[in-house]
Amino acid sequence: MVNYLKSLCAFIMSLLLFGCIDNEKKEYADAANIPVSKEMIAELTAPPNVPTPVGRRKAKKLIVNMEILEQEGTMTDGTTYNYWTFGGSVPGSFIRTRVGDEVEFTLSNHPDNKLPHNIDLHAVTGPGGGATSSFVAPGHEKTFNFKTINPGLYVYHCATAPVGMHIANGMYGLILVEPEGGLPPVDKEYYIMQGDFYTKGENGEPGLQAFDMQKAVDEDADYVVFNGKVGALTGDNAITANVGETVRLYVGNGGPNLVSSFHVIGEIFDKVMVEGGSTINENVQTTLVPAGGAAIVEFRIDVPGTFILVDHSIFRAFNKGALGMLKVEGEENKKIYSGVVQEGIYHPEGGGIQDMPEDDNQKAKVVSSDKSLAEKMEAGKKVYMQTCFACHQAEGQGIPNAFPPLAKSDYLNADVRRAIEIVLKGKAGEITVNGEKYNSVMTRQAISNEEIADVLTYVYNSWDNNKTNVTKSQVDAVKNGH
Amino acid sequence: MQTIQRLTLYTFTLLFMLTGHCQSKMVAIKGGTYIPLYGRDSLKVTISDFEMDVYPVTNKAFLEFVLKYPKWQRSQVKKLFADGNYLIDWDSDTKLNQSQSLDAPVTNISWFAAKDYCECQGKRLATIDEWEYVAMANKTMPDARQLESYNKYILGWYEKPKTFNNAIGSTFKNYWNVYDLHGLVWEWTLDFNSVLVSGESRKDVDKDNNLFCGSAAVGATDLMNYAAFMRYAIRGSLKAKYAMKNLGFRCVKDIVE
Amino acid sequence: MKTLKSILSLFIVALSFTSCHFSDSKKSNNDLVLYQCPMKCEGDKTFDHAGNCSVCKMDLKALAETSLTELNHNGISDESIFNLTSTWHTEENEIIQLEDLKGKTLVMVMIYTTCKAACPRLVADMRNIEAKIPKENMKDLRFILVSIDPETDTPDRLKAFAKENFMDGKQWTFLQGTQSSVREFANVLAVKYKQISPMDFSHSNIISVFNSGGELIHQQEGLGVDNKETLQAIHDLINKN
Repeated sequence: MVNYLKSLCAFIMSLLLFGCIDNEKKEYADAANIPVSKEMIAELTAPPNVPTPVGRRKAKKLIVNMEILEQEGTMTDGTTYNYWTFGGSVPGSFIRTRVGDEVEFTLSNHPDNKLPHNIDLHAVTGPGGGATSSFVAPGHEKTFNFKTINPGLYVYHCATAPVGMHIANGMYGLILVEPEGGLPPVDKEYYIMQGDFYTKGENGEPGLQAFDMQKAVDEDADYVVFNGKVGALTGDNAITANVGETVRLYVGNGGPNLVSSFHVIGEIFDKVMVEGGSTINENVQTTLVPAGGAAIVEFRIDVPGTFILVDHSIFRAFNKGALGMLKVEGEENKKIYSGVVQEGIYHPEGGGIQDMPEDDNQKAKVVSSDKSLAEKMEAGKKVYMQTCFACHQAEGQGIPNAFPPLAKSDYLNADVRRAIEIVLKGKAGEITVNGEKYNSVMTRQAISNEEIADVLTYVYNSWDNNKTNVTKSQVDAVKNGH
Repeated sequence: MQTIQRLTLYTFTLLFMLTGHCQSKMVAIKGGTYIPLYGRDSLKVTISDFEMDVYPVTNKAFLEFVLKYPKWQRSQVKKLFADGNYLIDWDSDTKLNQSQSLDAPVTNISWFAAKDYCECQGKRLATIDEWEYVAMANKTMPDARQLESYNKYILGWYEKPKTFNNAIGSTFKNYWNVYDLHGLVWEWTLDFNSVLVSGESRKDVDKDNNLFCGSAAVGATDLMNYAAFMRYAIRGSLKAKYAMKNLGFRCVKDIVE
Repeated sequence: MKTLKSILSLFIVALSFTSCHFSDSKKSNNDLVLYQCPMKCEGDKTFDHAGNCSVCKMDLKALAETSLTELNHNGISDESIFNLTSTWHTEENEIIQLEDLKGKTLVMVMIYTTCKAACPRLVADMRNIEAKIPKENMKDLRFILVSIDPETDTPDRLKAFAKENFMDGKQWTFLQGTQSSVREFANVLAVKYKQISPMDFSHSNIISVFNSGGELIHQQEGLGVDNKETLQAIHDLINKN
């Protein structure tokens, strides 16, 4: 009897338990119908950090308080710029929400500011993305509400005229709307946003730089940077991770003009949420982040080292500042990447520049002093070893069926002028040397007339050739078409 | 002899005090026609001759005003006419803050207060068209809007922080001998609420017949005139009872023939 | 006895699990916090617990301590438009001050009679609102149309306009001011306007509702907008009196 009672109680309890849990897991086909419970003040973070993931929390009424500050900051060493910011940073604070949240958004314009501003969040479904309801003068604030009905990573920016100028001065940031249940957890998450800046002075010019409207219209950027300034993510500011961890980067592009070709040197993106939406691409090297758009990239770190984040429109990375660093520590994995395994000497074809044969005249070069035969031999030998050796070999023997010999060469000895011409202009087509046919290409040698005289003297005075002393004036004559 | 001297001295001081207090220096502006940024169907606007204050109204002048008219003191002003930012930086109703200078332009005053101040002196606020007409001059030309250096100067000021603490007369004297129209503070105008921008600037280039009757006139005449754009944007964001740290005013007077 | 105890304790535990089903709706109301719909859909109605507004479904907001609007010696609060001392001409050629309208709920709009575009629609919006007010409440209500073109819209012109538009009843009042008083009035209502040609004005289309003390309670912006909230605001004000 007792046992029966006990099992009955257990049964009833389990029913109630399951009933309770089931009620929490309703699926909503239309995100607009997701109910919210309780209030929560949104945690806003400055780049490159992001707020805590939403995990499995229910949709809430989320209170976001965003302040606009116009303040001077450093663009690069010695150069400062007046930034207009959301929350005091460029890009602005990262807002993290989940689908179904009802956001109460208060935009405050600090009284010291000069200009009115507003905000357009791409996550908002409604006129202007909120811009019509948030136009606010300095010393005032405005509140409006919106519900996040689409998951994804979205840009927000100021939309007050002239819009380009407000965005160009740094008024952009990212708002993440996580799907039901949150994004899959990873070890490290970072917030990176690219922007282009237009200054009156050139890149690197010192002092306080003003915004240049004409350059912005011409899309001629002076600085293209991650997180608002050169070096925001390098050196001590680099983002970090450990071997074996998965890293997720929320990559935005505030523009105002340029599209980013985002790439991490030395890593491949295992997953890319293309344009911050729901399509997932895998095994991607470089992903496009549109101006006013975003992307989420994920990758697992396998080897240690410093991985460079760049906009692969490469002059922007190395000349305008679109460069960041991810410093990884941990155990090496020589199988995946071994580093230098072996070093050695390599003999290339020589220092002379190789060009295809052509007929045009080259410009005459400066005349130099006369040399003795011994001097010429020595100089010529040097030139030979640098320029001719690779094909004609150390003793002028050439390579059978490939390159004709210079040693005891009937072809060579028959016509000095022709030899000079070949060195000057190259030769293509079939020739017969010492009874053998050779049909190959000799590139013209970009060496000076004096060097040609020296090397030909050396060749003619070696290996049983006819001991002609080729002078520079002879070479000049051939060169000038005599 | 001595009494005459004394008398003249007294009358002069009296006159000086009177002029120093109630009437600030004004200059005559010769009227003309021009096309403003937001005009009337892109047509020219005609300005009649008028007089304009050389400088914006100072803290000193406004202090005298609230002493004379206590209804404009911070604790007594009606909420209809001024919001919470009205004279917020002053230490008390009748005392400035230590960091504020008597010669700096008065700011954090609402349109209603500015309007009343001008009216007490027999003057009025300038209309936007009048203000812009005088402001488009640089040091030597009455209309410098096409000059790059002129626009550069103004856009540069927009980025300079905290200019409201500078004394009047600290910027350049323009063609009309008027100072500080650029480079110091924004200024209230009589009809600032005729700027029909909704703040959603991407829409403001389109006719929004729903929000604004006759909004075909919303389009700006010169899209490259960013300096003027920003002034109109500020005007569009204001409400008459707002008080702003970077917003002051000056008065003008019609010339009665 | 022991088994009974264990059964009882099991039941208690089970009950506590089921209560998680109602986790958020029943909060203990130890503190007397009042909640109100932020859009005031049901006017000034307050609730003693959090939840959703039954009209617009928004979350109820906790009210801070209510501040009583101070009344000055006239009985007019600081925020009342009756603080404006300008004089106006009505379409009947009477001279009034705004304070003379005290005591009734006011629905006000700014128009001008030569308007071809939005004003006819704005006028129609006003008429729609008027039509939806029950007849017996009309005595507590006044519809005021203020002209932004005082030079053209003389009292005679206003009277003619009223007749043309079937707005000649006692509940309709048209006002002519001066350039200055009209500008001042518009600024109180946050109405923007600009003369764009001798005959035409650009102006924002806003219908404003004031209580009997002249305080601004509600504004409706745009043309042909759903006037449900405006009607609700008027309804609440009338019933409060």
